[in-house]
Amino acid sequence: MRKQSVFDRQSIVVLSLLAATAVLVPVLNVSVPPGSPFHVSDHLIPLLGKYLSFALLALSVDLIWGFCGILSLGHGAFFALGGYAMGMYLMRQIGPRGVYADPILPDFMVFLNWKELPWFWHGFDWFPFAALMALAVPGCLAFVFGWLAFRSRVTGVYLSIITQAMTFALMLAFFRNDMGFGGNNGLTDFKDILGLPIQSGFTRIVLFVLSAAALAGGYMLCRWVVNSKLGKVLVAIRDAESRTRFLGYRVENYKLAVFTLSAMLAGVAGALYVPQVGIINPGEFAPANSIEAVVWVAVGGRGTLAGAILGALVVNAGKTWFTGALPEFWLFVLGGLFVFVTLLMPRGILGAAKDLWEQGKRVRSGLRRDAVPFAAE
Amino acid sequence: MTEPVTPTLLYLDNVTVSFDGFKALNALSLALDHTEMRAIIGPNGAGKTTMMDVITGKTRPNQGTVLFEGKHDLTSLDEAEIAELGIGRKFQTPTVFDMHSIEDNLLLALKGERGPFSALLSRHTNQESERIDALLERVRLTAHRQRRAGELSHGQKQWLEIGMLLAQEPKLLLVDEPAAGMTDQETADTADLLRDIAKTRSVVVVEHDMTFVRELDVKVTCLHEGSVLAEGPLDAVSANERVIEVYLGR
Amino acid sequence: MINLRDFLRTLLLLVFTTSGAFAGPYEDALPKFAADSYSDTEAAIGTVAASGHPLSLPLVEALRDGRLLASAGQVFIREPSGGLINAATGQAFGPVPADLKPVRLNNRVRRAIEAAMGGLTLLSSGAAARREAARAVFRSRDAAALRTIEQAIAREADPDLKLALQAARASILLGNEAASTADRLWAVETLRERGDQDALALLSSLPAGTQPEIVEPADRAADSIRSRLALWSALQNVWYGVSLGSVLLLAAIGLSITFGTMGVINMAHGEMVMLGAYTTFVVQEIIRTHVPSLFGASLFIALPLAFVVTGGVGVLIERTVIRFLYGRPLETLLATWGLSLILQQAVRTIFGPMNREVGTPAWMSGALELGGLSLTYNRMAIVLFAFAAFGTLLLVMKYTSLGLYMRAVTQNRRMAGSIGIRTNRIDALAFGLGSGVAGIAGVALSQIDNVSPNLGQGYIIDSFMVVVFGGVGNLWGTLVGAMTLGVANKLLEPYAGAVLGKILLLVAIILFIQRRPRGLFALKGRAVEA
Repeated sequence: MRKQSVFDRQSIVVLSLLAATAVLVPVLNVSVPPGSPFHVSDHLIPLLGKYLSFALLALSVDLIWGFCGILSLGHGAFFALGGYAMGMYLMRQIGPRGVYADPILPDFMVFLNWKELPWFWHGFDWFPFAALMALAVPGCLAFVFGWLAFRSRVTGVYLSIITQAMTFALMLAFFRNDMGFGGNNGLTDFKDILGLPIQSGFTRIVLFVLSAAALAGGYMLCRWVVNSKLGKVLVAIRDAESRTRFLGYRVENYKLAVFTLSAMLAGVAGALYVPQVGIINPGEFAPANSIEAVVWVAVGGRGTLAGAILGALVVNAGKTWFTGALPEFWLFVLGGLFVFVTLLMPRGILGAAKDLWEQGKRVRSGLRRDAVPFAAE
Repeated sequence: MTEPVTPTLLYLDNVTVSFDGFKALNALSLALDHTEMRAIIGPNGAGKTTMMDVITGKTRPNQGTVLFEGKHDLTSLDEAEIAELGIGRKFQTPTVFDMHSIEDNLLLALKGERGPFSALLSRHTNQESERIDALLERVRLTAHRQRRAGELSHGQKQWLEIGMLLAQEPKLLLVDEPAAGMTDQETADTADLLRDIAKTRSVVVVEHDMTFVRELDVKVTCLHEGSVLAEGPLDAVSANERVIEVYLGR
Repeated sequence: MINLRDFLRTLLLLVFTTSGAFAGPYEDALPKFAADSYSDTEAAIGTVAASGHPLSLPLVEALRDGRLLASAGQVFIREPSGGLINAATGQAFGPVPADLKPVRLNNRVRRAIEAAMGGLTLLSSGAAARREAARAVFRSRDAAALRTIEQAIAREADPDLKLALQAARASILLGNEAASTADRLWAVETLRERGDQDALALLSSLPAGTQPEIVEPADRAADSIRSRLALWSALQNVWYGVSLGSVLLLAAIGLSITFGTMGVINMAHGEMVMLGAYTTFVVQEIIRTHVPSLFGASLFIALPLAFVVTGGVGVLIERTVIRFLYGRPLETLLATWGLSLILQQAVRTIFGPMNREVGTPAWMSGALELGGLSLTYNRMAIVLFAFAAFGTLLLVMKYTSLGLYMRAVTQNRRMAGSIGIRTNRIDALAFGLGSGVAGIAGVALSQIDNVSPNLGQGYIIDSFMVVVFGGVGNLWGTLVGAMTLGVANKLLEPYAGAVLGKILLLVAIILFIQRRPRGLFALKGRAVEA
């Protein structure tokens, strides 16, 4: 049996690249003078940090879609919940510096004439609690939702549709002022995080490096899972669910475990996203966001983990460029991407590159592997 | 198989399954002994596959009793529980994990802990390797162990699936049309393999290929419209007027 | 106005020949109009209105329009044609006095005129005028109109109008301390029978100090009206629900066809609806600029066009994208989502991001009042249309060979293929049909929703919910699903609010799917599970 190490070639490449980015970007920002073509400008750092948090979200989608065949069209909900947990911490940190200068209540609550902090806002002034909630809330929602869905064997497009309905319902809920999460405007005007001013260059660099580290950690975690026997069972479920069941595996438990893990990763991604973009609002729950995350994975190549990261970075860089240069074309490009990838590049960039590479190798070595007969006993 | 046992391993009594009024199984009764091999024949729609579905927990019968080892009520258990009791099933169309290597297919099928957390933390043991080696030998796939299952020929997939069944170490194997799409030689080899398996385990074989059934040389049950039409040695069953009428043809 | 004029003349003539009463309160009141005092004018209006004199109505009308002129104790009515008549005699007046001045009005006088008009037109021969008058009296509760109204009740033949008049009388009597207890109890009973919001307001706002034998029955009557109104409002909500359900049915039915036959989730389905709505817009624009006379028929012209346009786009999508993705439902879902983005952006580029104005033909505006229900014609048209579309589709599925083939493919694709049905052609046609139906749904939706590039997005999730709830591949399931969701939504709204109601419904559906993963009317059997 081939021993599959967590540190295989792909992992080494991914981790080295992430490490290099985490070092190079701050260095190019701080040490290279602004005039130089190699300078990374201040506004680019949170943008890149945002991409990294999206990459982590893509990773979480790939873990369940690429390896277990669960296409969630509601992963943006877990991302947003993680983001709200972080946003609540950041709101509490504003303290008396808000417009209404209330030491406890965030501005929007004062504006709504609320007299005291709702119970679910308690504890969020303490960072470890907020960080725990960024994991636990998405995790619990995923657990409950998954427990209900997988136990009744809701699969395929049905599952996709109800995950979409889930995030849509959450979006409607968070738009309501009564929910106590700032309604339409969401949470914003953050001042500082763990005592550091959130707008400062240093904080941004720290957040960026943390995002890279979280992405690396998330990648390693996923790699560990998919390389283990658990990962093999997941692929087995993806390819032949009832076969797996008749072998005695409780498919719903496997799905539930990996779905919950994936939701928690998405929650972490959201928690890293919010301090870097400075706002979280109900728009993050929009079904379109979740589907976009799926296309990142599809573009990069699903079932590869590295592809998810690559896809998130490429598509988002493209989005930034297009929405700046040719805003009216971005939706054509994004829509075209969906069609193109599913139709012509089902294995994504990474899969296509691998095919090309192997073809090239075969041609170079002159060995035609497919000519080797294997049916002969 | 030394444990003290009731004479019947599998016992179906008066089992009825209806889909929107259509009775796929109609008061079906069947009993299977330990280490017995039984061939099930019958025309399309006779209820052969539905019977398998009922035994393995995929379909719940509307009424009737399904007992395993005289004590387990299979109608109240789900697929995974039934599989863990020791009932393995091979599908009509061979179903293996195409993207996994042959040996991973067998590894996943090996009897053992089935929970997600033990799977996450499991280590590959020598004992497992030895089991896999033995199974590969038995289903003649040793040379292909590293290849993806999806690359195998149809007949090899059938054998791999039987190998996976054996890896589960079941007490009862349900085998749906194992000879379909095989060459004559492969069919004969498959019959040998099943006879060999039946020395230590019970086997139920659903098959249309009468040559194959003859080679198995076991008791035959002919189903028709969801109930047993005839039962006994092949010669007796195939001489039965009704069987000839509805199934074999004159 | 011509008609009213004629009728007044006839009325005058009629009255002059039948009535001999010339001296009375009417004549006595006339000089007060010439006194140039608001309070005198007001008092005189009351007297004139109560007099029953045939000239009362023309006089009050003239006063209202500033055509009542006074000079030295004499009062004249200037006819709209310009001629003057003596208000006392009704005779044409020859030489015009030099110091004729219009009788002046202030707000109090105007109110008195309004009240008097109500009483006076009660006796007019036009049913619509009498109805309007009864309504005016009911609202003004002017005691001065009591005598007139009693006369009017006595001669009213139309039972409907009679009821209206009696309600008006009751409104006067109810709060009137001078009226007899029997009359007031009659008023309570009459108002209870009328049973609308106005009657409720009257019954529940009796002046303080009203004797208990009036108050108690009035309270009981108010309660009974309240519960009746609650029933009506529940019915009204059910109607809104049916109307919403029809919209959902229209939006979901095409989806149900494509999902059912092909197992394909068409995320661009909403955009097909949107294209249908834009087709309507384009048709109307062309009609407006070229043949405005056809505007009333614009929707009927748009329907087949929308079907052809969106059906064509559907077939195109199927042939170029979806057929390469069969057996990969999740990929199909993503590809069609991409197509939906492209279609949205294309429409935005061509027509702009703003809402486009789609007109409503005259025959679709207005509402039908039915008991306590108000049924607007455009909603009614959509409900009828949805059911007609549903019925047609049902017939197509049941009696045409296309329908037969589609059902065959739904139940067992492989088997259908092996008995010679060209499944890929059926797929293309099914997709075209589903998209075409979405297109005609768009025509209907253009009447009640904003026609913008985002139109489709608003319906897609709801349509999915309908299909999933009802069960795939079953048109009846879609009907039941749509109506259930529509009605449940509207019945929840008054209690939970629109947004929370919707959230609750979504959660309920998510939970429902756990129990019935294949929907309410699922196909059963081996083929489905395989």
